[in-house]
Amino acid sequence: MKELRRYWHSLCCFWSSSIAAELEYPLNAWVELLSVLGNLAGSIFVLKLLFGNGVALGGWSWNGSLIVLGLYTVLDGFTTCVLQPNLSRIVNHIQTGTLDYVLLKPIDSQFWLSTRTVSPWGLPGIIAGFCLICWALLKPSSSISYGLPSSGALLLAAALLIASLIILYSLWFVLAALSIWFIKVWNATEVLRYTLVAGRYPVSAYPPALRLIFTFVLPVAFLTTIPAEALLGKSSSIWAIAALCVAGICLTGSRLLWNYAQRFYTSASS
Amino acid sequence: MKWAWRVARALITSQYALMLEYRAEIILWALSGVLPLIMLGVWSGSGAAAAAGISAQQLSRYFLAAFVVRQFTVVWLINVFEEDALQGRLSPFLLQPISPLWRYLTAHISEQASRVPIVAVLLALLGIAAPGLIWLPSAGALFFGVIAIMAAFLLRFLLQLVLTTFCFWSEKAAAIDRLLMIPYMFLSGIVAPIDTFPPAVKRLAMATPFPWMIDFPARLIAGEPVNIALGFTAIIAWCLLLLPICHLLWRAGLRRYSAMGA
Amino acid sequence: MSIINAKELSKIYRVSEKQPGIAGTFRHLLQRKHREITAVNQISFSIEPGEIVGFLGPNGAGKTTTLKMLTGLIHPSSGELSVAGHKPWQRKARFLRQITLVMGNRQQLLWDLPALDSLKVNAAVYGIPEKEAQRRINELAEMLELGEELLRPLRKLSLGQRMKTELLAALLHQPAVLFLDEPTLGLDVNAQVRVREFLADYNKRTGATMLLTSHYMGDITTLCPRVLLIHQGELFHDGSLSELTQKLAPCSQVRMELSKIHSVEDFCGYGDIHYLEGHQVQLLIPRAELSERVAALLNRFEVVDLEVSAPPIEELIGGLFRSREKL
Repeated sequence: MKELRRYWHSLCCFWSSSIAAELEYPLNAWVELLSVLGNLAGSIFVLKLLFGNGVALGGWSWNGSLIVLGLYTVLDGFTTCVLQPNLSRIVNHIQTGTLDYVLLKPIDSQFWLSTRTVSPWGLPGIIAGFCLICWALLKPSSSISYGLPSSGALLLAAALLIASLIILYSLWFVLAALSIWFIKVWNATEVLRYTLVAGRYPVSAYPPALRLIFTFVLPVAFLTTIPAEALLGKSSSIWAIAALCVAGICLTGSRLLWNYAQRFYTSASS
Repeated sequence: MKWAWRVARALITSQYALMLEYRAEIILWALSGVLPLIMLGVWSGSGAAAAAGISAQQLSRYFLAAFVVRQFTVVWLINVFEEDALQGRLSPFLLQPISPLWRYLTAHISEQASRVPIVAVLLALLGIAAPGLIWLPSAGALFFGVIAIMAAFLLRFLLQLVLTTFCFWSEKAAAIDRLLMIPYMFLSGIVAPIDTFPPAVKRLAMATPFPWMIDFPARLIAGEPVNIALGFTAIIAWCLLLLPICHLLWRAGLRRYSAMGA
Repeated sequence: MSIINAKELSKIYRVSEKQPGIAGTFRHLLQRKHREITAVNQISFSIEPGEIVGFLGPNGAGKTTTLKMLTGLIHPSSGELSVAGHKPWQRKARFLRQITLVMGNRQQLLWDLPALDSLKVNAAVYGIPEKEAQRRINELAEMLELGEELLRPLRKLSLGQRMKTELLAALLHQPAVLFLDEPTLGLDVNAQVRVREFLADYNKRTGATMLLTSHYMGDITTLCPRVLLIHQGELFHDGSLSELTQKLAPCSQVRMELSKIHSVEDFCGYGDIHYLEGHQVQLLIPRAELSERVAALLNRFEVVDLEVSAPPIEELIGGLFRSREKL
């Protein structure tokens, strides 16, 4: 219990100090806000083009697709807030040797590396994403108005969203941890970011081959489509359970990989 | 003239050797350019392209061409420049008799040269995965397409150069470039063929330099009917507009840099 | 009961060899050749609580590797090791709270943050209550002569001030053992003196054990009554510095300025010639025969000026390493 309090207190300190540092650059706030709004506007524009002749996108209605887009925006905001600032630093630590200092602290090194900094500039994305989701759920549309989802659907969707966050974190962390072996692939997280853009659209909008890839190779489907289905009450329980299992496996995998990476680092470094 | 040729050769060979060291990173950067292929997946699933009069084959050729065009028109000037300026590496460059911009330009050209085999391998893999996707463009299309790619690269370089000069005044100029990426993404034809735009938006897009960076070269290579003269004229016009702006801003920026005693 | 106990500690690295060029890459893929590098070879020593011990040795001797094994950052290949009653490589939280590592060429504090913010983070991580942390910060800041520097972002401080804040951050949790890897690297003379004074003072006040590696002999001579000499991974002296100089070269340096110019043969039999240039000559004479040889020199030559001193330690040790390498 005392340990948990110590970790919580450390987390609060981590985040208050990094927010204080970021707030020294107020220009960033405007740039991020404009960037999020611009990206959102552009994505909605493209979505409108795709719905041009009225045919649904892979069986998804306009409102449904907006929900998927909203979820993607939330995940992107989370990436900017937590994943990007922390995990891109891991390579820095390895290259400059300051990873030693992290390993010497009496606190779990994966915890430190994953949560040490936070960027408040991801918040506009998260907020905008949630606003879009609410608007899509409540807005009366020509075909169906979904209205508020049932509390069961909301809970399931929330759980699946958390599962998505965990999967996303694990993907990022695994790639960043690989830089202990392959320093040269430090920008692999950028590739991840650019390929996850596929999550903007429901997975059934893609041709079957890509659908397979986005479900089993790069679990984009689990990130946005499945939580969206849950919100719309269309979720089949199999996929929901699968998503939660995948999240658990990814998190465990990232932990195992990190332990192995640490053992490698301390046996072979000088 | 002979001196200029010698300097150019030295710069290109040294930058190429440097790029070879960054092979692994460049492969990853090439992979991160898959957006047009993802968009191809989405567009072929929807019926909107057919409604705009684009056949499935035209669609796939366009996006594949856009993928290749994007690989060879990538500009990363502002990131390295900002880093160099912050770390103080700029000062030794400025002491040399040639402008540091030539160094950055040759770095870009060398990086593109080192990408050629990587893109070739990626295209080969795509061809194996989906045999109908790959085709050989006609000689004319290829010829004009390559020139269009080079022209588009130059245009993008100049556009980013304008923003890069702001690094002399602000530490966060690279963030502003990210804002410029948004119209680039949505108006240049990477995520949607421009023909699918509503007429008003299409007219707006054509007034910006962005369609000429991706849409124009991609359609040339894909073999679609396109007004070649108009395209090249537009690119040249934009370049001529940006060149004096770059020159003035660069000079002003250098004055400020030396005044700050960096 | 010693606080650090090392018995036949070794670290051997396996490095794969790769020839340059494309052919080399292919050969490397198919058949890997390995080479074993012994960084540390069966070192044994023990250190009592409260001691200040210096690690001396040329670059690549194995000092940093040994230090990292003591902090648990590197697994030893063989041998026994215990620090503060723990096996370091297990990196248990209880062990980590008792040690600290300061590296002169790397910082743990974040560049953009004021030091005080980073210190608060450290206090939270080590579980130090806020009031107690503030008291310790004030106390250490006074000892280190730091005031409003703690409120400025780290990048705006000079190297000396940064080093002092690093020391503050490292000592916040009152560790029992301090490991210092070149703490005065790059500092100007005054800053070096201040850091040394602080470390000696801290040791007296708290009784913390200190292990120090350094290239600056000044650090070792002022701070370390005991020195461990490491060369090519082996420990070949463990004792005081004066014992070392006695062992290495029981010689004195005699510098003379003569009124006439002489040649090398004239000095034959009086001692080893260190240098001979014009009117100046410097000889190395065994201490046992110092007085009679100096008397003989004064007799034989017309001496304008004479100076007898102990050869500088750096030269002795440097010479020792060179001769060991030849072996």
